[in-house]
Amino acid sequence: MLRFIFRRTLGAVVILVLLTVVAFLLFFGMPRDPALLMCGKTCTPDALANIHKTLGIDKSIPEQFWIFLQGLFVGRDDFAQGPCPAPCFGYSYHTNENVWSTLIDRLPTTVSLAVGAAFLFLFVGLGSGLLAAWKRGTLIDKTFTGGAMVLSSMQIYFLGPLAMAFLVYQTHLFDQVEYTNFTKNPASWFTGLVIPWAVLSTIFAAQYTRMARSSMIEQLQEEHVRTARAKGMSRSYVFFRYAWRGSLIPIVTIFGIDIGSLLGGAIITEYTFGLPGLGQLAVEAVKFSDLPLLLGVMLFSAAMILLFNIIVDACYAFIDPRVRLS
Amino acid sequence: MGKGGRHTYAAISVLAAGALALTGCSSGGSKDGASNQKDTENAKRQQSSIEFGKAQDSVGPAPEVPGAKAGGTVTVLQRDTYAHLDPAQIYVSDEGSLSSIIHRGLTGYKATSEDGSKHEVVGDLATDSGTTSDGGKTWTYKLKDGIKWADGTPITSADVRHTFERLFAPFISNGPTYIQQWMANTPGTEYRGLLKGGPYGGKHLPDTVLATPDDKTIVFKFKEPKPDLPYALAMAGYSVVSQKKDTKEKYDKAPMTAGPYKVADFKSGKSMTLVKNTNWDPKTDPIRHQYVDQFNILFNKQYEDSTKTLLDDTGVNATSISFNNQVDAGNLSKVLADPKLKSRVVSGYQPYVGQMDINMSQPEMQDKKVREAIAYALPITPFVRAYGGAQAMEVAGGLISPTVSGYNPSFDPFGKKKKPAGDPVKAKALLKEAGKVGMKLTFGYINTPEGQQYSTAMAAGLQKAGFNVQRQEIPAETYYDQIGKVKNNFDIYHTAWGADWPSASTVVPPLYDGRVIQDGAANYAHVNDKKVNADIDRVSKISDPVKAAEEWNKISEYVVKDVVSNIPTGYYKQTQIAGSKVGGLVYDDVLGGVDPRRLFVK
Repeated sequence: MLRFIFRRTLGAVVILVLLTVVAFLLFFGMPRDPALLMCGKTCTPDALANIHKTLGIDKSIPEQFWIFLQGLFVGRDDFAQGPCPAPCFGYSYHTNENVWSTLIDRLPTTVSLAVGAAFLFLFVGLGSGLLAAWKRGTLIDKTFTGGAMVLSSMQIYFLGPLAMAFLVYQTHLFDQVEYTNFTKNPASWFTGLVIPWAVLSTIFAAQYTRMARSSMIEQLQEEHVRTARAKGMSRSYVFFRYAWRGSLIPIVTIFGIDIGSLLGGAIITEYTFGLPGLGQLAVEAVKFSDLPLLLGVMLFSAAMILLFNIIVDACYAFIDPRVRLS
Repeated sequence: MGKGGRHTYAAISVLAAGALALTGCSSGGSKDGASNQKDTENAKRQQSSIEFGKAQDSVGPAPEVPGAKAGGTVTVLQRDTYAHLDPAQIYVSDEGSLSSIIHRGLTGYKATSEDGSKHEVVGDLATDSGTTSDGGKTWTYKLKDGIKWADGTPITSADVRHTFERLFAPFISNGPTYIQQWMANTPGTEYRGLLKGGPYGGKHLPDTVLATPDDKTIVFKFKEPKPDLPYALAMAGYSVVSQKKDTKEKYDKAPMTAGPYKVADFKSGKSMTLVKNTNWDPKTDPIRHQYVDQFNILFNKQYEDSTKTLLDDTGVNATSISFNNQVDAGNLSKVLADPKLKSRVVSGYQPYVGQMDINMSQPEMQDKKVREAIAYALPITPFVRAYGGAQAMEVAGGLISPTVSGYNPSFDPFGKKKKPAGDPVKAKALLKEAGKVGMKLTFGYINTPEGQQYSTAMAAGLQKAGFNVQRQEIPAETYYDQIGKVKNNFDIYHTAWGADWPSASTVVPPLYDGRVIQDGAANYAHVNDKKVNADIDRVSKISDPVKAAEEWNKISEYVVKDVVSNIPTGYYKQTQIAGSKVGGLVYDDVLGGVDPRRLFVK
């Protein structure tokens, strides 16, 4: 098992390195001049050259990349803004903040949003999907599958403001959406995030309902399940003892990818609710052509997705021994 | 200043995307009588020239705001985080609003009416707005007694000297450059040669440029008369910087402040907390108050969010405000129509004027008849609609804003106020005379929801007049870089510009002086007219501000009517709302938004 995880991790590192090369070349090699954005009203070639030097983009692309790589592992001290300890992604062009510190500062919001929403959509989605499969063909099944169909076609930027208008501004049933640090005030953390969790999980849960239902129905038709039933085992015993485990594999796959993506920043949700997480940071980075920040957010998100892919692979191996053997 | 600064422009574009998606298109177009009258009043009050106050007007404390009381916390909902806190890097309006309560300069704008609608320039740290004995070449300032930094150390003339000398350092690239250019008596960025690298190598500006004979006295010496110096010194970008606490680039994150509030905590993109500066003495400050105990500023609050939160008006929302967020286009009509909201809604003009630049470097644009045809054909209605209707944008006749001295409300050579939809018939006749019917016209437009909306309708209007319009999309974040290139291959493109102080001396020279044409310069239309250039030189030397205002306006009118290179489109307007428990609410014409200096909790 350890060898299996080691192999997968090694693969992920290779992908991450390749991604870093491609992303760096794409961002810093394209014919765009970030210095122009900082050049002010009376921009002249002299002033531009000055900013190029300050940003360190007066050097060749390979040289810049080498310095960037060095910074990731050993840090850098050539920034006017101060030292940049490893992993150094540099300083934001727009706010002059250390990129890594900014990522770490925004991470708790994104983690809170992702974990809360994932908890909700996994249990609600899985529960309703399994129930629909259990009650296949009944009114319950039709209600859940119909509901899932409607909800999965909804958009966060539609549901979000709607939920805010009704639940916060009209009925005052919920608090204003706001991120409070969990360690500072757990109650405010919870009440401030309930609506984003609910909205985000509504969209996701609908997919999980549909997937769990179809996966379970498929499993119930497997030969080993039918054999178990033929042997006289009860429906509920077969459902939970044999079919449930097999139906989890696609769910685990999609859940791993989803949570990895969410931890890289739920861009639309964070933006809709004004939550200062990684997703919002990505929007800011794009808005201000802030390449170091954009690269930082992108690599961080990629690392999250890769990490959760490894976790998913490990879970497969745990759920299905055949994966381990292969 | 360019509309919202280069950085903010991108922000406007992306964020407005959300606005449009959530709110749908706004109605726009119609305008009732009451609104008309209010606009006229606003324009009237804003165009009145701001005079230099006398020495006694510079004595603190500032006149009490009626009903004001001390204490309480105000929550401030802002869309954009503050990218700069170093005064020398501050140019955009939201940072200017913050600067008004944390930084201080030699001069400042003091409200002279209770509603904050009239101002005069007074001494802020200085004892008066400045004295000159030779028509504006030499200006002397004396510092007040008892002025201190937030750490309790006194502010001296050495700090003021350092403030101006560090503007020549290479890392200062975002703030205004007027005074540096005046000191070096040169346009562009050549001024940096006067003190290469700034004061950090031990070099200083010579006494023939800036003298500080004692701890309290500062003397500016220019080669040409600079009658606008008191205005320029009141810009946030010329607020003072502590010599001892100057940390160069790092100062931008943790500056030493001197205003009534200091930064207790700042998490970029998330929040900022401002608390009282106990070393600020109201007796030295004729402009600011310190009623509120604390300001909690929250960032990334889009216009829709802040409007809904402030309309909600319950709990903490009742003591909330935004210094710069406008009422979003979707709620604007509702907010302005509701009499219950009247007491907590303020409106005014922003300093920006929109204009369609005709690229004078393009061979086809050399024909004046073609340019006139564009001017007559261009419909302005789509532009007004795209920004939310008449409450958010007013059809412009000229290039001088109602907020600037010398504004002429009757100037409208192409009849845009009467025919905002354009005059395609007249335009087509002109194009026929020029023998250019069906000529290709490349329209570079900014890829924002507004840009997409107005450019389509504007292109249709020009098409009606006989142009073969090719729309070319330009990404919002590089829009000004692309159209700012001298060889840009677009025939027409839209820009907006605002005066840095209520004088067109900050509009006409940067926009229409042919000698400043270069990549990145603000003369986007590449106007290079001998008469305009000569007039700019002549008017720059006029020391009477009222006469100068008239003359600047004449140049701008000549550019519109005779050069026909820049077609005025609209005057940007703004409406803001606050929670019902926020007192002292006033729209400040100079800041172009709510005045944070006089707010209190009811």
